[in-house]
Amino acid sequence: MSAESEDVPLYAERPEWSDVVPVPQYQGVDALAPINYSAEYQDATDYFRGIIRMGETSPRVLKLTRDIINMNPAHYSAWQYRYKTLIAIGADLTEELRQMDDFALTNMKTYQVWHHRRLLLTALRSRDAAAGELAFTARVLAADAKNYHTWSYRQWLLAHFNDEERLWAGERAWVEDLLEKDVRNNSAWHHRFFVVWSSGVREGDEDREAVGRRELAFAKEKIALAPNNPSAWNYLRGVLEHTKTPLSALTTFVQLYTVSSPSIAPEVMDLDNPVPTEGAQLPCVNALEFQADIYEQEGGTQITKAVEIWKSLANEYDTMRKKYWEYRIKEGLQTTHT
Amino acid sequence: MSESSSLPRLNRNGHAKLAQLCLSGLPFTQVDLDSSRLAIIFYCLGTLDLLGVLGTKILEAQRARWRDWIWEQQTHGNYGAGFRPSPYMTAEDHNSEREYTEYDGPHLIMTYTALMSLAILRDDFAKLNRAGILTFIRLCQQDDGSFSALPNGGEADLRTTYCAFVICSLLGDWSGMDLERAVAYIRRCSSEEGGYGQTPDGEALGGTTYCALASLKLAPATSTSHWELHNTSAERLRTIRWLTANQSSSGGFCGRTNKIADACYCFWCGASLSMLDAGEFVDTAALASFLGQCQFKFGGIAKAPGERADPYHTYLSLAALALFQSPNTDESWRLPRLDPLWNATLETACWAREHIPATKSNS
Ligand SMILES: [Zn+2]
Repeated sequence: MSAESEDVPLYAERPEWSDVVPVPQYQGVDALAPINYSAEYQDATDYFRGIIRMGETSPRVLKLTRDIINMNPAHYSAWQYRYKTLIAIGADLTEELRQMDDFALTNMKTYQVWHHRRLLLTALRSRDAAAGELAFTARVLAADAKNYHTWSYRQWLLAHFNDEERLWAGERAWVEDLLEKDVRNNSAWHHRFFVVWSSGVREGDEDREAVGRRELAFAKEKIALAPNNPSAWNYLRGVLEHTKTPLSALTTFVQLYTVSSPSIAPEVMDLDNPVPTEGAQLPCVNALEFQADIYEQEGGTQITKAVEIWKSLANEYDTMRKKYWEYRIKEGLQTTHT
Repeated sequence: MSESSSLPRLNRNGHAKLAQLCLSGLPFTQVDLDSSRLAIIFYCLGTLDLLGVLGTKILEAQRARWRDWIWEQQTHGNYGAGFRPSPYMTAEDHNSEREYTEYDGPHLIMTYTALMSLAILRDDFAKLNRAGILTFIRLCQQDDGSFSALPNGGEADLRTTYCAFVICSLLGDWSGMDLERAVAYIRRCSSEEGGYGQTPDGEALGGTTYCALASLKLAPATSTSHWELHNTSAERLRTIRWLTANQSSSGGFCGRTNKIADACYCFWCGASLSMLDAGEFVDTAALASFLGQCQFKFGGIAKAPGERADPYHTYLSLAALALFQSPNTDESWRLPRLDPLWNATLETACWAREHIPATKSNS
């Protein structure tokens, strides 16, 4: 307990709260997993129950709910009543967002923090506010680039306000920046998929074939930098599936990553098929899997080649998934024989 | 060199002690559990159930007191009936005859954990307000097919969908939801990687992938089975691929691509594979080795080696071990069989399905 908080009197001791009748918590039968409340928490929640009974919505309720949330960020009833009060007294909701910024940064793993912002943004119906929130989530993600709640909230903002110029426009460049910092950040890869493929067509992205080429080139370039990165391979697969492109479109590229030692870099750089970075661990399991899938998709006699690769994965390169690769062998052979 | 040579014993006593300690009380540092206490209680009771100590070391009188407390959380009012997380918002002068107030009502996730906890404690469910719960679920469903945790607000994602599906399935009554809409919502959470995100457009995540698959599997067969319809061979293979890839070199599963392994995902991803009839792809020896290292020296299991144990990771780790028994382990690792769909031991799942529906099968 910090010295500062010891100086703060309990609600029960404050004259300005003397009109509220505190309502203690129900005791009942022997409690299961009872929590050993601090005096401050018990006092504040007694007054909170009192306020709810009175139905009061006023500025002092904001102070009380804030105190409770500070002690217990998951207290969803305090969040609910706080929101109701903000609306009832016509509070400045943008100001509320700013008030909660630091709190959200230190409690970013608490669901209620983000749910509250979502309610505020829905009520504000303001694109300016939404743009401000994109900037705020960028700050939070700079501190924890994989925070699931923050990503969900950002995706909700974009889809809900759906403003090409104010919101979507900078999104791909921003997420590219994050991948620049950490090429293995799967949340960023997924977000890119969301922005480019699963949320409609962005302005300037109308030529879908060109977009497809651009995205494949992007993923290939990132794979060249760090070949054993399943996020980039999954993105590549996602793009092919989404654009209904056969896997074999990438045969030349993939073969650069299935060999045990790197091939000599060609004199003229082949931009479509960037070579693995120097010192990369080869062969790359994701590339072997991809190559086998190409063979399987081609069917016929190519299955034998797929089986060879699956065997090498089962017995040498990815032994943890031995049974999975053996299953692929069995399934692959079955399809050819029927 | 066999895995068992380096594998520690499963600290059964330590894990049971942690569960009992939490049931007897929590320190103020864990006050954030106040609004989800029934979930923590479910993990603790589930732990005791898996370790087989409920019938042997815990007296019936104690179990009866626990049941009484859980029943005290059942409440009815404006939005139907269900269970609240704890009496954390309940006024001193409350009595169970009276309807709940706006901020002390039932919670969808807590209603699910209450039903499963009562089944673990072999309750006869005579006090269950079945009609009230169906009303409650109906009022929690949103226009997009999702379910909010509270009828007047709260989170809505695949976790709450799963809870609604389990409850309707247990009650044997689907009149509390618009099934088509609920399934459409689940579909919208499907991600390009093969798993399901927490909400539509979200990144594939182990826990919510479990929720999606289990819900589809629980859904009653209407004109066409949702399970068959939404698990075409290509889609099923894509999901299996993503799930198996999540078992990392440490032996544990991660919940998302490129994250480090976390004990709870050994259950979420492992049970998902089981539901897809692909449980055999799990490397059970590596899984046991990872979870063995996650054991905390004073009891309980942590999310990763070197971290502090908690009831959630303790229960889910044991549940994963019950699903995937490794042949190389000693007798300390023997656990009763677990049903991946109901996330309970076979006996508990059987009890729940026998006692929760309104009309018993033999009547
Ligand atoms: Zn975890």
